[in-house]
Amino acid sequence: MAESLGTRVKKAVAPIGGFFTSFALAVKKGDIFVKLSLLIMGLGHIVRKRVVSGIALFLTEIGFFLFLGKFALKYLGKLPTLGTVQAELYFDPILFTNVWNDYDHSFKILLYGIISVVIILLFIYIWITSVKLAYKLQVDKEKGEEIPTFRRSIRDALDTKYYRTLLFLPILGIVVFTVIPLIVMIAVAFTNYDQQHMPPTALFTWVGFSNFKQIFTTSITSTFGYTFGKILAWTLTWAVLATFTNYIGGILLALLINNRYTRAKKFWRTCFVVAMAVPQFVTLLLVRNFFADQGIVNTICSNLGITSLLKSIGLVPEYLNYIPFLTHKVWAKVMIIVINIWVGVPYLLLIATGVLMNIPQDLYEAATIDGANNVQKFKAITMPYMLFVTGPYLINSVVQNINNFNVIYLLTQDVYETTDQLMAISHGRETDLLVTWLFRLTNEYYNYKMASVIGILVFVVCTVITLVAFNVFLKKNKEGEMQ
Amino acid sequence: MKKLSVLLIVMCLVSSIFAGGSSETPVAPADAAAKAPIDLKVWVGELYVDATAKMIESFKAQYPEETFNITIGIESESTCKDTILTDPEAAADVFTFADDQLLDLVNAGAIQEVLVNADGVKSANGEGAVAAATVNGKLYAYPMSASNGYFLYYDARFFSEDDVKSFNTMVEKAASAGKKVGMQFGVDGGWYLYGFFKGAGLEMVINEDGTSNSCNWNSARGVEVAQGILDLVASGAFVADSTSNLVSAAADGNVVALVDGTWDSNPIMDAFKEGYACAKLPTFKVAGEDVQTASFAGYKLIGVNPHSKNVGWAMRLADWLTNEENQVLRFQTNGDGPSNVNAAADDAVRTNPAIAALATQSQYATVQRVAGGYWTPAATLGTILSQGNPEKTDLLKLLDTAVAGITAPSL
Repeated sequence: MAESLGTRVKKAVAPIGGFFTSFALAVKKGDIFVKLSLLIMGLGHIVRKRVVSGIALFLTEIGFFLFLGKFALKYLGKLPTLGTVQAELYFDPILFTNVWNDYDHSFKILLYGIISVVIILLFIYIWITSVKLAYKLQVDKEKGEEIPTFRRSIRDALDTKYYRTLLFLPILGIVVFTVIPLIVMIAVAFTNYDQQHMPPTALFTWVGFSNFKQIFTTSITSTFGYTFGKILAWTLTWAVLATFTNYIGGILLALLINNRYTRAKKFWRTCFVVAMAVPQFVTLLLVRNFFADQGIVNTICSNLGITSLLKSIGLVPEYLNYIPFLTHKVWAKVMIIVINIWVGVPYLLLIATGVLMNIPQDLYEAATIDGANNVQKFKAITMPYMLFVTGPYLINSVVQNINNFNVIYLLTQDVYETTDQLMAISHGRETDLLVTWLFRLTNEYYNYKMASVIGILVFVVCTVITLVAFNVFLKKNKEGEMQ
Repeated sequence: MKKLSVLLIVMCLVSSIFAGGSSETPVAPADAAAKAPIDLKVWVGELYVDATAKMIESFKAQYPEETFNITIGIESESTCKDTILTDPEAAADVFTFADDQLLDLVNAGAIQEVLVNADGVKSANGEGAVAAATVNGKLYAYPMSASNGYFLYYDARFFSEDDVKSFNTMVEKAASAGKKVGMQFGVDGGWYLYGFFKGAGLEMVINEDGTSNSCNWNSARGVEVAQGILDLVASGAFVADSTSNLVSAAADGNVVALVDGTWDSNPIMDAFKEGYACAKLPTFKVAGEDVQTASFAGYKLIGVNPHSKNVGWAMRLADWLTNEENQVLRFQTNGDGPSNVNAAADDAVRTNPAIAALATQSQYATVQRVAGGYWTPAATLGTILSQGNPEKTDLLKLLDTAVAGITAPSL
C-alpha cells in the first residue's frame, strides 16, 4: 500500500523482462540441438524423446511459413499505405458483365494486416517458448530428471494443469472476437475512413493524429471541439445524476416497502418487478409516444389546465401551447432523468431490499435505546452500511451510465432536434451522450474515423473515473464499518 | 550416431516438402453445351414482393433459352443506401431506392451506369424522373415511380378548395376552430423546409465538387421568408412535428391538414374518411405578397450493382421491371404513380387524388441534389423557426449561422 508508483510499475513489468532474459540464457547455454531449434522448431524436443510435441511444433512452423507466404505478406506489404491501386472497371459486352482490375480494398488490408500481425506475434511467442522448453529438457536430462512422456503430459493437462486446458478456448475466443476487432477499430481512428473515402471504390490511408486534433478544434465549418465539450459535460452530469437518483430512489422505496406499517409488501414488490419484466426497448418507445408534443399526456395536461398553469409560471415557453416534454432542451433533459428513474429503480429496489435485510437489527435497537429518531438512524446506520456494501457497485454504475445508450437514443432520436446551430454542424444534440453521438456519426453519416476517435476518448474517460474512484474508495474501505 | 540419424531424417522431411514438384493435372475441357444459370438477387420493399414476383415471371418468359435463378429479398427503399454501402460487393444485383440516395451511391461507386437501353429509358420516362436518375450527364438508374414527393392533404369537411390555396387563410381558419395545420419542417425537417426558401426564389444546391452546397438563404429575401414562416407559426395553428405524429393527431381530429407524401395516403384516408382530399402546396405571404411553396421532387428508382457477376442481365431485368406495363401493374397493386409518360397519362392514374396533386405540384418541384452537410443545420433552423425564434436572435444572424453549416464541406 505504501509502495511508490515506480515500484509498482516495475513489479508489473518484471515478468516480461524475465521472459526475454530466460530466452537469451537458453540460447547462450543450450547445446547444438537447442541452437538448431531456433531454425527447425521441435528438434530439441524430438532429440529428448518428446517426439510428438516436437513434430507438432515443426508442423506449426511449416504452417506458419505457408500462411506468411500465401496470405500475410500480401497484406503486410500494403499495410503502411493501406492500398494504392484504385478500383477501375469496364463493361465487357462479350462477357456481358463488368471486369474489374485487381484493386486494393483498404479496409480488408487493414483488417487482414492486423490479423497477420497478431498471428505473427503469437507465433514468435510459441517459438521463444519452444526454445526455452528445449533448453529446459536439456538441463533436466543433464540433471538426470525424468522427462515426461507425451501420455503423461496429456494426463497433466486433464488433471493438475486442467486450468490451462479450460482457459484455452475462452482466451482464443476473446482474442479472435474482442481483441482483434478492438485493435482494428482503434486503428481506424488514425485513418481518414469516412464517406469520401469508402472502399471498395475509394482508398483511405493513415493520417496520424489529425483526427484527434480535429475533435478538439472549433472553426466556422468544423465545430467538433465545441460539440465534444458540451456533450462530455452532459454525459458526466447524466451519469452521476442517473446513478444517484436511482440509488436514492431504490433505497427510499425499499425502506418504504420494508416499513413495519406497510401492508401487502409482496404485492408492492411484485408491481415494481413487473415493471422490470417489460423490455426496456418497448417501454422507452411507448413512453416517447406518450410524451409527444401532440400526444396523450399533452392532451390530458391541456384539458386539465396544467399547461396554462406552467405557462404562467414560466416553465413552458410562451410561444407554445403544449408542454415540450421531449423537444425542449431543458425539459428533455429532466424528462430523460425522470423516465430513467422509472426504468431503473426496480433493480435498485431489489438490491437495496437485500442489503437492508442484512443490517443487524441490534444496531437499530441500540440506537433506539440511545434515543435516536428515525432520521438519525437512517443517517448513522442505514446509509453508511449501504454505501459500504454497494460502493463498488455505485462506481460501476456511474461508468455504465456514461454509456447508457438505450434511454437517450430511444427517447430522443426521432423526436428531438437541436436548436444550437453550432452543434448541428457536427450532428450533435444537447441531450446526446458521447456514445449516441458516435452512433449517429457512424450510422447516418458514415464518419467512421471521428466515431472511432470518440470511442477512444470515451474509454479514456471511463478509465480515469474508474481508477480515481477506486483508489479513493479503496483507501476509505479499510476503515471498516462505521460505528 | 542416433542423434545424427534423427537429424538426417528431419532434414529429409524438410527438403521433401519443399522440393516436391507440382505435378500437372490435366484440366478437363469445359462442357460448352451446358450454360451456367444466371443468378440474380433483387431487393424490393416489403409491400412490393408479390408484384415483383409476377414481373420476374414475365421476364423469364421473355428469354426462354436461358435459365435464371432470381431471388427476391426485402429491403426498405428508404434505407437501401445504408445497407448497400455497408458492403457494396455483397449487395443485391438489382435494388429499388428513393432518388435522394442516388448521389451518395454514385460517389461511393456502388451503382452501375445504365448501359442497356439508356436511350429508351430517357425517352419513355418523364423529364423530372430522368433528371433525378442522372448525375453529371450520365444515367445511373432506371426510373420506376414519380410519386415520392410531398403535397398537401386536407380535410374537405373543414376546408374548401379555395381555402387551401394559401397557408395563411388555412391557418387563420384552423386557429379560430382550435385545430392545427401540420408540416414536418422542424425535427428532421430539412426536406420540407427547402420549399419555403426555394419558392421565394432563393437557391440551395450542391456544388461541382459534390461535397458541399452553395446557399444564398442569408440575404434580405431570406430574412423576409423567415419572417413569413414566423408569421404563420405565430397564429398557433401551424405546427412542426414528424409526419407520423401528425397522422396520429389527424386520426384524433386535432390536425385538419398536413403536408405529407403518398406513403401515408392510407392512414390519412382512414383519418379524414370522406373528407380525404389532396392539393398542391399552398402559397404563403412573404413581405406582403403570396409566394408559391416549392418542394423537392421524389422518385423511386431501380439501380444495378456494378460488382454483380451478371451486370448485363441485371440491367436487362431492371429495364424490364420499369417498363410501361410493369409501372402500370405497380400502380394497380400499390398505388405508385408511374414515371413512364404513357402510363402516367392513363385515366386511372390521372384521377387518383394524391397523384393528381403531385402532378400539379411537380411544376414547382426541384430534383434533390443535396450534399450531406445540409440536413442537420436546416433541421435546426426549422426547429428554431417553428418555436417562434424564442431567443429573438436577429434573423439575418440566424440565417448566417445556418448557411455556414449548410455550406460546410461534408464531415
